[in-house]
Amino acid sequence: MNDVITLAHGAGGRQTAELIDRVFKAHFSNPQFTGDDAAVLSIGGADLAFTTDGFIVSPPDFPGGNIGKLSICGTVNDLSCMGARPLYLSCAFVIEEGFPLAKVEEYAASMARTAAEAGVRIVAGDTKVAGRGQVDHLFITTTGIGQRLAGVHTSGTLARPGDVVIVSGDVGRHGCTILLARNQFGIDADVTSDCAPLWGTVEAMLERTKDIHVIRDATRGGVGTVLYEIASQSQVGIHLESTSVPVHPSVRGVCGMLGLEPLYLACEGRLVIVAPECEAPAILDVLHQQPYSQDAAVIGQVTAEQPGRVVLRTEIGAETMLPPPGGELLPRIC
Amino acid sequence: MRTEYTQTALQIIRSYDGPPVRIMEVCGTHTHEIFRLGIRQILPSQVDVISGPGCPVCVTPVGYIDEAVWLALEKGVTICTFGDLVRVPGSTLSLAGARSRGAHVEIVYSPLDAYDYARQHRDEEIVFLSVGFETTTPPSCLAVRNARRDSVTNFSLLTANKTMPRAYEAMKDSADAFLYPGHVCAVMGTGDCEAMVQQGVSGVVAGFTAKELMTAFAVILKKIQKGEPFFKNCYPRVVTREGSRTAKELMADVMEPCDAEWRGLGCIPQSGLQLRPAYAAWDARKKYGIPLIEGRANPACRCGDILQGKCKPPQCPLFGTVCTPEQPVGACMVSHEGACSAYYTYGGNIR
Repeated sequence: MNDVITLAHGAGGRQTAELIDRVFKAHFSNPQFTGDDAAVLSIGGADLAFTTDGFIVSPPDFPGGNIGKLSICGTVNDLSCMGARPLYLSCAFVIEEGFPLAKVEEYAASMARTAAEAGVRIVAGDTKVAGRGQVDHLFITTTGIGQRLAGVHTSGTLARPGDVVIVSGDVGRHGCTILLARNQFGIDADVTSDCAPLWGTVEAMLERTKDIHVIRDATRGGVGTVLYEIASQSQVGIHLESTSVPVHPSVRGVCGMLGLEPLYLACEGRLVIVAPECEAPAILDVLHQQPYSQDAAVIGQVTAEQPGRVVLRTEIGAETMLPPPGGELLPRIC
Repeated sequence: MRTEYTQTALQIIRSYDGPPVRIMEVCGTHTHEIFRLGIRQILPSQVDVISGPGCPVCVTPVGYIDEAVWLALEKGVTICTFGDLVRVPGSTLSLAGARSRGAHVEIVYSPLDAYDYARQHRDEEIVFLSVGFETTTPPSCLAVRNARRDSVTNFSLLTANKTMPRAYEAMKDSADAFLYPGHVCAVMGTGDCEAMVQQGVSGVVAGFTAKELMTAFAVILKKIQKGEPFFKNCYPRVVTREGSRTAKELMADVMEPCDAEWRGLGCIPQSGLQLRPAYAAWDARKKYGIPLIEGRANPACRCGDILQGKCKPPQCPLFGTVCTPEQPVGACMVSHEGACSAYYTYGGNIR
């Protein structure tokens, strides 16, 4: 590990995991500290999911959303992935001196709209202002609690050989949108972020079946990073069919030009679901009726072979390893 | 979505039972796509694929990085460069290292972006690191021509541009057939590749999709069994015999051939391009009087042997231990189009 923090430590890949393991886990170790999107705490007979997330996306406005909407979706989705109904959020703002008040209000309004859609209340907050140049526009941190539905038990450790891997929509949109919004490449493409609150989607799925082993939202490191985490946590192999992975044509085009792998571009409204094969038709049926998951598809299978690895069957029928996540792909996407 | 066409190519490739064949690709994008698609896995064991000198970053010599570092630190110029070059090790410092000592390094995605930067920052001296083959050279030429048109004098090129035909000749004993680079041929046409047949060198122009690459491999394996040198354009939807006249005229106007050093391969006569005397005012070497710098590469690094197919990346003593994509020693590990980086990244089931 480097002796200073690099952008790769914040990219959600291997270096991020190393930082968490070697520093944060080493100091914070306790029975409730798991590798999942949220901790589940038993308090007064209820199973509460609890999580927090910081948002520093640049630019703060992008097609399909802004930092305010993103800050609600991120935390709501982390709770939802534990099978927990999001209940209450707090939010902390760090705002740069000189930042327009009207923009702050615009982001607050986005947050309120998104929270209302997710059925969650923002009940506490904090505001700090930093001197000009000490933060870039504004950073938002949200913290949330939710109540886990009875009979639901999902975790990255529960994938079993024979399970299918489902992704709830086309991958890599948020990362691609941010990339283009920075205007560094002179590429114009019609891509909007997939940023969306997913409790409604998860709830509808869990109403149909509770026999789901893993639900994860693919954020920073994209679907590829999530799959590697599941393969490692559950000690299973994951075999993907590359032609089954839904990718928007514009995202595919941009990735082709820039040499990027769509599976490693960030999503902000996509679930990775691992469930027994017999549940797949029911799950897909529900997903296809929900607004944010109409392109949901089975993309692969969990295997006992090659534990810890993600293997990709390419369009020519060869099997290659999906390159493990690493390094800084794009800084400040969320 | 395996089309019937690809299936047929696949069958030809799988059923090949002829003599051993060494196929060399000389395009970084081919390197990457061949690994990504897993083409090596489906080739019969007597068919070897060599990643030749096709990635501009990988063939850029150490001394060139030293020149850029010298310009940045000694002359205080702003270096505009493609991102991949920033981490390529020089004799003592990479540009990333120079940056941590105060050098101003801007990442750009095109020479024209560097030129725009120069126009917007007239109080800075801008040097664009002009590397690449016939695909990236035309925009560099255009930037210089625009600079002359607009009388912009705070912009110049540090050239290390290279041309492919001499590399084919220099590498011809390392391979039985070339997978010629589709993008380069789109610019230059196929004349240089066709002329190689007279020297007994075979090859096909290949595109970049799964279908195009499979077709190219299948054609090589079919034709090579006849024992006659051959050429075939397997990328006709993009590559024509003539190429792009506009791009060729632009290059001929602004640049002229020169001897060039290729990392790991040494000097190949007349394989490089430099600015013509009429554009000397935009030539960073002349403008700043850069001293002659002899670069020293890490002696254990085998990038040169890898580019010639004399060894595979895992046979290099530095590979995967001292030299990784995060801490590259050799240029082939820096760029994601480099052979070492591709081996490292796609690791596992590569033979």
